Amino acid sequence: MPKIIIDGKEIECRDGIPVLQAALEAGWDVPHYCYHPGLSVVASCRLCLMEQKMPHPQTKEMGWAPKLFPSCQTPVKDGMEVRFHSESVENNQKHVMEYYLLNHPLDCPVCDKAGECSLQDYSEKFGNATSRMVEDKHKNPKKDIGPKTLLYQDRCVLCTRCVRFADEIAGTGELAVVERGSRGEIDVFPGEPLANDLQGNVVDLCPVGCLLDKQFLFRQRVWNLQTVPSVSPADSSGACIWIDANDAGVHRVRPRFNERVNEWWISDEQRHGFEYVNREDRLTRPRIRENGQVRGASWEEIPAHLRAAFAGDGSAFVISPMLSNEEAWLLATFARQVAPNAVLACGHVPVEGQDRSFPKGFTIRAEKAPNRGGVERILAHFGGPQMSFDELCGQAADGTLKAVYVYGGYPAAWITPAQAEQLSRLDCLVVHDLFDGPLTERADLVLPAAPWTEREGSFTNCDGLVQAFERARPPRSGIKAEGQFFQELCGLPGLFRSAKIRTMLGESIADLAETFQPRKEPEHAH
Amino acid sequence: MPYEQILMRNVGVKNSQSLKVYQQAGGYASAEKALKMSVEDLVEFVKGGNVRGRGGAGFPAGIKWGFLPKERETTYLCVNADESEPPTFCNRVLMEHDPHMMLEGILIAGYATRTNVAYIYMRGEFTEQFHIVQKAVEQAYEAGYFGTNILGSGYDLECYVHRGAGAYVCGEETGLIESLEGKRGWPRIKPPFPAIAGAFGKPTVVNNVETLAVLPHIIERGLDWWNGLGTANSKGTKMYCISGPVNRPGCYEAPLGISTRELIYGEDFGQGMRDGMKVKACSPGGLSMGFLRGDLFPENPSKGEVDLTSDYDELDCILDFDDVRRYDLLGLGTAAAVVVAEDTDIRRVLTNVCRFYALESCGQCTQCREGTAWMYKIAQRIEAGAGRSFDLDLIEEVTKNMGMMPGMSICGLPDGAAWPIRTLVQKFRAEFEQHLAAQAPNAAAERIIATNPAAYDLPVLQGRALQPSGGTYLVPKD
Amino acid sequence: MAWNVVDRNTAGDLGPGISDAVRQKIRGFFDRYPTRRAVMLPALHITQEALGYVSLQAMRDVAEELEVPPSDVLDVVSFYTHFWTHPRGEKTIMVCRSLSCELLGGRELVEALKEKLGIGEHETTPDGRFSLMTEECLAACDHAPCMMINEKMHKCVRLDQLDQLLDDPDNDRLDMPRSDLYDAPGGEKPDYAALARQHGHHDEPAANAEDDDLGYTSDVGEMKDS
Repeated sequence: MPKIIIDGKEIECRDGIPVLQAALEAGWDVPHYCYHPGLSVVASCRLCLMEQKMPHPQTKEMGWAPKLFPSCQTPVKDGMEVRFHSESVENNQKHVMEYYLLNHPLDCPVCDKAGECSLQDYSEKFGNATSRMVEDKHKNPKKDIGPKTLLYQDRCVLCTRCVRFADEIAGTGELAVVERGSRGEIDVFPGEPLANDLQGNVVDLCPVGCLLDKQFLFRQRVWNLQTVPSVSPADSSGACIWIDANDAGVHRVRPRFNERVNEWWISDEQRHGFEYVNREDRLTRPRIRENGQVRGASWEEIPAHLRAAFAGDGSAFVISPMLSNEEAWLLATFARQVAPNAVLACGHVPVEGQDRSFPKGFTIRAEKAPNRGGVERILAHFGGPQMSFDELCGQAADGTLKAVYVYGGYPAAWITPAQAEQLSRLDCLVVHDLFDGPLTERADLVLPAAPWTEREGSFTNCDGLVQAFERARPPRSGIKAEGQFFQELCGLPGLFRSAKIRTMLGESIADLAETFQPRKEPEHAH
Repeated sequence: MPYEQILMRNVGVKNSQSLKVYQQAGGYASAEKALKMSVEDLVEFVKGGNVRGRGGAGFPAGIKWGFLPKERETTYLCVNADESEPPTFCNRVLMEHDPHMMLEGILIAGYATRTNVAYIYMRGEFTEQFHIVQKAVEQAYEAGYFGTNILGSGYDLECYVHRGAGAYVCGEETGLIESLEGKRGWPRIKPPFPAIAGAFGKPTVVNNVETLAVLPHIIERGLDWWNGLGTANSKGTKMYCISGPVNRPGCYEAPLGISTRELIYGEDFGQGMRDGMKVKACSPGGLSMGFLRGDLFPENPSKGEVDLTSDYDELDCILDFDDVRRYDLLGLGTAAAVVVAEDTDIRRVLTNVCRFYALESCGQCTQCREGTAWMYKIAQRIEAGAGRSFDLDLIEEVTKNMGMMPGMSICGLPDGAAWPIRTLVQKFRAEFEQHLAAQAPNAAAERIIATNPAAYDLPVLQGRALQPSGGTYLVPKD
Repeated sequence: MAWNVVDRNTAGDLGPGISDAVRQKIRGFFDRYPTRRAVMLPALHITQEALGYVSLQAMRDVAEELEVPPSDVLDVVSFYTHFWTHPRGEKTIMVCRSLSCELLGGRELVEALKEKLGIGEHETTPDGRFSLMTEECLAACDHAPCMMINEKMHKCVRLDQLDQLLDDPDNDRLDMPRSDLYDAPGGEKPDYAALARQHGHHDEPAANAEDDDLGYTSDVGEMKDS
């Protein structure tokens, strides 16, 4: 690993990276707009310029070169010495920050990006309080460039990250720079909107408030949001995300760097597919059918009811791939406690088309559930009678099965009418799900589920990688989160803590124990 | 004429564009000679002539060729005929009158660089010249100077004319390459340099028209002849351009090393100013190189010593690759002089210069994109009669940031913008200040002041030496 | 939304596309370059000769021929000043306004032309005969002030010559052997008068950028006033 000296301090850094990246990873706050580690280097924002020690052309004596170098374009070399804190570097930063704000509308009070905008941050840290331009500002239009994205051209700093993203990562090239010089704008071809399945990333990439997500537009001020690390349940890739939420609900999902899975990006489906957790019509109370009458039930009476209904032969548990490893393990443990010969089945796995890969390797998985791998691994550990969900439905229809516990937890309607019909012939049908549907109508016991934002645990992705997610919101009033509920069913005392269960789980299933901890995200991009 | 016309020997000759006329004057003999040499010998030979590029940067052509990797399959030669630097027109004259001289140079350079495809990138404004060059290329193909197995040497070279469409920045070599590739002419970051990965990712040489036109003559007459012309570090002959209100504007060839004064007043050159006016300012090397004070200013008493701090006449500046730097010019550039007469308002010159760079900045680097546009706005305001003395400091400060020293941005355009604007403001500051003191607010000025009078009192960057002079605007407020 | 937003989701009228002959001519350039994309500038020159301007549909057609996204063609068209994204007249007058020309009356020449033709920069006379634009340096500084009418350079133009110059039907004709390499195939030419009638010239500043030729003017008129 090469060693370089930044501002007099020696640091060790990865080989082959630009000085800027090395400085950022070592904790320096170097202002930059155009540089992004996931994109090609253009060195056009000229904000990350640094001083470098070089041999004097005549005397060959090492000294600070009079010229400044773009640190994003200069690869690290063992023994090199650079500095970011010097008069000429800081002077350059001051000037460039002033240029950026010359024609900027300064509309932070109505800008979604305010609070997480690098124009704001850099202006405060590296820039000036005033602009010395007294002429009229150049006003650029606001453009609706796609079904999900707006472009406020007047706030643009022309870093071209979004253009490079569309060219290099999405490979669709909808975005382009048009015009030239100070009239330059980012735009799409009229009638060819930005509509690729990764396009939401341009909003994260935009260092200023130019590209805006329509879903998040004017929804919350970012300083009122709490950010929690999570893993996307939208497909089986296990993309790492941040969830931005507050008391009013979940408002935004952003990518979280993970070099082994999604790098800096997520798909639109992973980004925008969370709205169901905020739906008003989510189930919030347990319901029980007694003598043909449906009544509300309390969580306290459920365990005894379940034990009674599932104790005999012909009971089965459907463990959804929407559940975390910990929850699946607890539910399976309970199943075998109450009925040692209970059938265990992995729930319905939604699949849409084929896996789709993008030029630099980002893949959208066809399997639209986060944890099939984990659930199957756990079921394999338990052994005993098992079958697929389809077979289970068949056996329910022909009367082999008497009592079935179905955990759903899918964001949308998932069961076919035929399967619902097959399951309706049971003596006891327990449905644990997010929304009312054909199955809850037929159920003897309905339990309200919590979406992944209100739970914690870990998912095993399609490549067998186990990743933990945290709880972004408490369960909606009336709901007992799955972990807690299953733990109580198993008779384990105390509050549910996924880490604790994971340890227990690891003791019984060794290879699930190695919970992957993502590398600390290089804080450079947003 | 005291100076032998070498590159311009056919200017004025009837049908000088035709292959026949060119051949009658010994044309393509040098190419024949070159094709018989080994590639290594040819490159060494040209290196010996120290042919510094005529496009503006003055980089020796032979050394440029030497940067090509030894092992390579495909090489491209791009001929830079995107002559966009105002007020330069020597390439135009050359292509208009003697296109085959350039084509012969292409053949020689192509052979020396083992190129099989050459593109002549010609600016879109060249229409007549396009037809002339295209016809000449066709003739050269017919005569076997392009195509396969040229003159029986086994060497193949295709030559295509590629037309630009109006962008100054495409004269920068990597901007040219991008444009050739069908993209916007945004210069590339270096490294990699074009010699390693240029057009279509392959090793590429970009040479100016005049540089190439010089090659046949060096081969014909030898290095001793060439090195006997010019000054110590600036060898050979150069096509000087002179324009503006002089008696005989035009393109004149002379060995490197004539003075600016000679270019303006010499019998063989500009023949003096119209109506006997005096020179206020002169930009001797193409706009981007900066301005000199003219003979409107008093003579410099210390002969030979340059004193930039006083307003002395600077026309003694020698137009070669070195002396210009003593006068705070960026370089020799294209050696195309434009003269500003004593009766011209210097504010108008400033606006014109600022506009050029504001409109031609490609918009990649922030300093250049925003700085040029801002300075244009300031210059317009000063011309409209609403300037502040602070504006002069501000322009100077912006130019210093844009072009603190050459090479701080992706291409040289911001340096080329900073130099003329800064030298104008510095060297003619007295006149600007006179105008500022005497300016009458016209409607435009009133409007600007009405927009935001308070903004006129903003301070300069804290901690910097430049402070506003009084912090008030100079328009009378009554 | 509370303020105007330019909608890019739908295209509206894309204008005329390029003919098969133009496509053929463009394909003729393919073997001159190692990539198709490099044919961009020749293709756009030929398109503009054939249509009088580069319409949105033409950009799409060129993109199809060169196998690039249409946004890349828009990018290139808008970068270079010679491409017009709205119809221009039969003869485009390009006046040099660089320093040498300005010192000798270039600015006055532009003003006089604007008055005589009754149009501003990047506009077209109602009869479709003339469009006006300015250019940074035509590289004829020795003949300042100069201007071009289509391909023909007019040197040392004096204000009192303008009327005569504009009236001369041959004021854009080159009196020399021409190469048709960059011409439209078969002398294909638009009906300039019809184009001008259809689109008019922009007297009023357009209400929003969309109406005003997409907001890209290939020119910088707005900067001058700002």
